[in-house]
Amino acid sequence: MIKQNRLVYLTLLIAIVISVFPLYWMFVIATRTNDVVGQYPPPMTPGGELGANVARLFEAEQANFALGMVNSAIASVAVTVSTVFFCSLAGFAFAKLRFRGRNALLVLILGTMMIPVQMGIIPLYMVMVKLGWQNTLQAVVVPFLVSAFGVFLMRQYALRAVPDELIEAAIVDGSSSFRIYWSVVLPALRPGAAVLALFTFMGTWNEFIWPRAVLEADNPTVQFSLSQLATEYYTDYTLMFAGTLVATLPLLAVFIVFGRQIIGGIMEGAVKA
Amino acid sequence: MTTQVRRGLFAAVALAGLVATAACGGGSPAGEAPKAGEKIELVVKTFSKFGYTELYKKYEAAHPNITIKEENIAQLGDYLPKLQQWIATGSGAGDVVALEEGILVQFMAKPDNFVNLLDHGAGSLQDKFLEWKWKQALTPDGKTLVGLGTDVGAQGMCYRRDLFEKAGLPTDREEVGKLWPTWEAYTETGKKFVAAAGKDARFFDSAGNIFQNILMQQGDHTYFDTAGKLVIDTNPGVKAAWDTTTAMVGADLSAKLQMWGPQWNAGFKTGSFATIACPAWMLGLIKEQAGAGLTGQWDVARVPGSGAVRGGSFLAVPKQSKHPKEAAELATFLTSPEGQLAAFKAESNFPSSPQAIDDPAVQSFTNAYFNNAPVGKIFGESAKTLKPVYLGPDNQAVGDRVGEALLALEQGKLDAGAAWTQAIESAKRTAK
Amino acid sequence: MRPKGGHAKRVAASSLRSRMDKSVSPYIYIAPFFVLFAIFGLFPLGYTAWVSLHDWQLAGDSTFVGLDNFAALFADPDFWNAVANTLGMFVVASVPQLLIALLLASLLNRPLRGLTFLRMGVLAPMITSIAAVAIVFSQLFSRDAGLANWMIGLVGVEPIDWQADKWSSWTAIAVMVDWRWTGYNALIYLAAMQTIPRDVYEAAELDGASKARQFWRITIPMIKPAVIFTVIMSTIGGMQLFTEPLLFGQGELSGGSLRQFQTVAMYMFQQAFEEFDYGYGSAVAWMIFILIVLVALVNFLVSRRMSGVDK
Repeated sequence: MIKQNRLVYLTLLIAIVISVFPLYWMFVIATRTNDVVGQYPPPMTPGGELGANVARLFEAEQANFALGMVNSAIASVAVTVSTVFFCSLAGFAFAKLRFRGRNALLVLILGTMMIPVQMGIIPLYMVMVKLGWQNTLQAVVVPFLVSAFGVFLMRQYALRAVPDELIEAAIVDGSSSFRIYWSVVLPALRPGAAVLALFTFMGTWNEFIWPRAVLEADNPTVQFSLSQLATEYYTDYTLMFAGTLVATLPLLAVFIVFGRQIIGGIMEGAVKA
Repeated sequence: MTTQVRRGLFAAVALAGLVATAACGGGSPAGEAPKAGEKIELVVKTFSKFGYTELYKKYEAAHPNITIKEENIAQLGDYLPKLQQWIATGSGAGDVVALEEGILVQFMAKPDNFVNLLDHGAGSLQDKFLEWKWKQALTPDGKTLVGLGTDVGAQGMCYRRDLFEKAGLPTDREEVGKLWPTWEAYTETGKKFVAAAGKDARFFDSAGNIFQNILMQQGDHTYFDTAGKLVIDTNPGVKAAWDTTTAMVGADLSAKLQMWGPQWNAGFKTGSFATIACPAWMLGLIKEQAGAGLTGQWDVARVPGSGAVRGGSFLAVPKQSKHPKEAAELATFLTSPEGQLAAFKAESNFPSSPQAIDDPAVQSFTNAYFNNAPVGKIFGESAKTLKPVYLGPDNQAVGDRVGEALLALEQGKLDAGAAWTQAIESAKRTAK
Repeated sequence: MRPKGGHAKRVAASSLRSRMDKSVSPYIYIAPFFVLFAIFGLFPLGYTAWVSLHDWQLAGDSTFVGLDNFAALFADPDFWNAVANTLGMFVVASVPQLLIALLLASLLNRPLRGLTFLRMGVLAPMITSIAAVAIVFSQLFSRDAGLANWMIGLVGVEPIDWQADKWSSWTAIAVMVDWRWTGYNALIYLAAMQTIPRDVYEAAELDGASKARQFWRITIPMIKPAVIFTVIMSTIGGMQLFTEPLLFGQGELSGGSLRQFQTVAMYMFQQAFEEFDYGYGSAVAWMIFILIVLVALVNFLVSRRMSGVDK
């Protein structure tokens, strides 16, 4: 029994080390000076330059880093809240309610995920020009308020996580479907919703191609900001990674908060009769 | 929390989020037709560092009704997709755009995306630019000028003095320049070097790099003739450049590194290659990568053959600009000999104007890291001696295919004959 | 609260509301997605389809050519090479990835110490910046001084030029993809596993079922929707593979000297934006769509059968 546990721990430890290593190395470089970056073997231990590098980060005019962080925070929160709400609602509808065309519409939603996004940039930019939204925050928020991915994920969770009997009982009780959603389904969906919230926040925070296309350097989101730290012919890695490190901190915070939600919801679900 | 409160809180957060995004908007104001004497804002789109900050101030002082706003994207790789998007959608390109040589050449296929600068008096500016640079932005019939030249990637041949010394070769840059008046002589020198250096070092970094330089010296056109027809297989100049390069690869002169890769970056310090064709912009990179320990060990000599340039940019006025006249005037100012000199002093961007090149500031420019090499003189000469070369619109794409074939040769996947066939076949498919 | 007095009338009214609610509300709930899609998704889709029917140069003119682009695609060896590469990389990357993710999730589904740390640790790749990933993996698979070559050198194998061949580049890219996405899929499985009540396992334990048997006979079937989800999503993601091969090739869209690892998404992007052939690139985009639909359908049917007979 104990031996098996040891094996489990060892496997997990190896998995963690592999997963975390590049992140750790990023941190190491952010605390060093530039002459050690190209070294072989590369440096493995942190240095003392973090403060200096972070100061340079916020002073870099071309990057507008502070604004980038703020813009990304607003965008990520807005998109996450909206996505979790609307996608869990739609997911519930697809999973538990019966209506005409349900399967066809679901397949349609799935289909929208199968179109390569890169070709959509130019026409979507045209839409933004028509709306007058170039270089605005709404351009990076509004198109993403509900996602096909989220609807699909929530539907899959709702299939299993919500017992049909509970819904039947609520219907007999005379509850409206929204009430059923709010009091019965949403609590049961908590782990799934937390997963969606986490992924959506991370996805929006890490988004680069579309913000680069529609925004300018004076109103960036954080990844665009980071790309402005580079120069054409030489990359100041310590600066770059100091920026990346600071940009990762909010993600880490969200990670921990939602991690607890997932675990919390998980424990509830596990004890269910 | 009770259901009521949670519901209310949730709604408030969602609403706040949406309101915040709407409020924090504030896009660029739509352009309007100027009334006489009205204030005009000119938007200049640039990438990397053109060094125009002081110039803008000077221009605004001389033209009180004009304000200049520069919108800069740090990396060319991030700038290019945005530029394509602006031109394709007809919105967002501002009033003056920077065009890197590779993309200018592609836009020359449809020059009417841009204002014809000849309509704004650019014809009188011809002698202010190097002949080949002027011709690059001019349509073959000479009727439309798409852009005015800014900087050029003038080149020298950077070499490692210490590695040369170890291999028994001269180290003084004049002497070294005499070693290779032609590419054949360069190959011979290379063979001497690798014979002495053994396994430790090769002569140059990659075949693709060398090939580019040799190709541009082979006449007045490369892959395409002036009618736009693909002549890669019939132009003897292309084959000559190919054969010279493959002979070098065959003699094991190439370190077979991929440009910009980690090993290429490390190679400046570790000495995996003794020479590299280096444009002005690469000097800073070499200094950073090789480090303080090698100060004075890298030096710059002339390039074999006559004239070597890699890249460079132009300023153009997009058709979508609401103020073409004012924009053309600004572009003329920024690319004038005085403007180019100021940009050189600010960012070491090498001028494309002969008057600027001849200026003492450029001629006396030395680089301390590179053993005080008179880089201004060396680069000036290589920029001036280059003859005009016609590059067709698909030049970049075809060039990439040829480069890939050379890489396959270096990787040992194809022999020289098969690689040449591969280059031609894939070039034909690309240029269809 | 049960309605009292005027009972029949109130029952009739609430029954009508409830019927309306049942028939109308589902459409209201799914409407937000379709409204947004109509504004921001439909136009790009239609536009891309329209462009694909033209000889449309990004810098220049466009002429209507009907299905010529698609006909040319069928005869284009570089396109089919990219298709083969994409399918190959997808299989090499996804099969191990989903299996490892299942394993990881089952390991994390136990009462262990330091659980939050472990569970979140496997998600670290999702918050690691692309730049760091690019550098670490370039170093790892570097020809002359890379860790991978050093490791295989320990067992006497010659150093490999990872970018030079199909099999080596596919393997390296699969490593990059799996590193990034395994934890993500593991978390999805884990959240699903947590809805399985403990007493089901206890009953099986009492019946004498081994852990492995419990895993295959109880866990997998009960998390089937999650499995199907990850299979479909990784199919869609795999067919659209773009970032990892691009990073592996130092940002070159050609994917190797002889297109050893160029995916269809890279080919599409190269045609549209490097060679300025916007019409052709759009046609490639639609071919990718058809390809994804086909492969996703196959994978869906396969995974539905394999994870047990159910709805």
